[in-house]
Amino acid sequence: MRRASSPMVVLIAVLPVAALACASARPPKELIEAREEYRRAEAGNAAKLVPAELHVARGALDTAERAFAEDPASQDAIDNAYIALRKIQRAEALGNAALSMQDKASFEKSIRLTQQELLTRSTSKLKNTEGALAKERDSLAKEKETSAAERAARVEAEKKAQDAMDALAKNLAVKSEARGTVITLAGGLVFATGRSAILPGAQSQLNQVADALKSQAEHHFSVEGHTDNQGSDRINDDLSLRRANAVREYLVVRGVAAAAISATGFGSSRPVGDNKTAEGRAMNRRVEIIVDKQP
Amino acid sequence: MSKPRSRWSAIVIAIAVTTLGCGGAPKPEGRVASSQGAIRGAAEAGAEGVPRATLHMKLAQEQREQALELMKSGENHRAELLLARAEADAELALALARESSAKADAEKVDEELEALSKQVEE
Repeated sequence: MRRASSPMVVLIAVLPVAALACASARPPKELIEAREEYRRAEAGNAAKLVPAELHVARGALDTAERAFAEDPASQDAIDNAYIALRKIQRAEALGNAALSMQDKASFEKSIRLTQQELLTRSTSKLKNTEGALAKERDSLAKEKETSAAERAARVEAEKKAQDAMDALAKNLAVKSEARGTVITLAGGLVFATGRSAILPGAQSQLNQVADALKSQAEHHFSVEGHTDNQGSDRINDDLSLRRANAVREYLVVRGVAAAAISATGFGSSRPVGDNKTAEGRAMNRRVEIIVDKQP
Repeated sequence: MSKPRSRWSAIVIAIAVTTLGCGGAPKPEGRVASSQGAIRGAAEAGAEGVPRATLHMKLAQEQREQALELMKSGENHRAELLLARAEADAELALALARESSAKADAEKVDEELEALSKQVEE
């Protein structure tokens, strides 16, 4: 009996002591927190970006663990765990700061690249604009030159035309009317009575007229035949048209552009003199060449 | 001859006992200075204006003041650990201020980049 009860006594005596030891070996909450925080830091930015800082924190945690092992219930164990926790948190904050700085550097690089791209685009756009401007400038300069040359040519042509008309006015009746410049050829001088063939004596005058008309480039010419009221309207209409055509053809042969000249016979419908008098009838027998006002 | 020797021994023992009786640990002057420096450094970095750092600044100051009081009563060992805690809190506050500042800087540059990218798209 005495032998059998001794292990039980020992067990009964040891159990409370072991229970007390377990209770006192429970780490302080600061140490539990520090261990958890360290595990997080190991998996986070601190381990990747500031390993030296995390190493320092690890040293502090080891110190805390030693203090806890030496005297689990001591204030030293709590204080060292508190310090370790702060150092681990510090390493994490510095890791996050390092990550932000990396991000910033990366953003700045992207900004530089983007600015470079924008600059390249702007330069290219500017070059294109400059090219277009240069072309436009050249074109304008040429246009200006052309325009000046054209203006000079036009002035010259107008002067020539005016000179030709002035020369013509010395020998023929030339007057300015609302419908244009009217050159009148007396019918009696150009045609034989009742005929539409141009008399040889009139050719010199018609040549002058042709020269004057040729100098009036870009204008349109109308050749109008007129008669007095002697004879039937049908005959007069026909005769006046044939005479107008004869003059038109002569002028075309002499170099006036065919497309620029038309012929119309008005018969006796547009008298300019009194058909009752011989003088008036002579005035009515005429061919008029009108230089239209508008080119 | 043996009397003076024993007298000297007694004096030496008395001095040793007195010194140990005063807490044993020397005054943590180094920690006093370094904790002060850490608090000043964090304040200069603007930690007091960073919400997450404010608490640690306050803890650092309180623990330091508490440590200085303990030193007056000779509790130097506990004072040293409190000063180390204060220093750790101040250093954490400084790191949090840096983290906050770096994050704000990165966000600002990110916004600039976004604005520029919009220009490119236009």
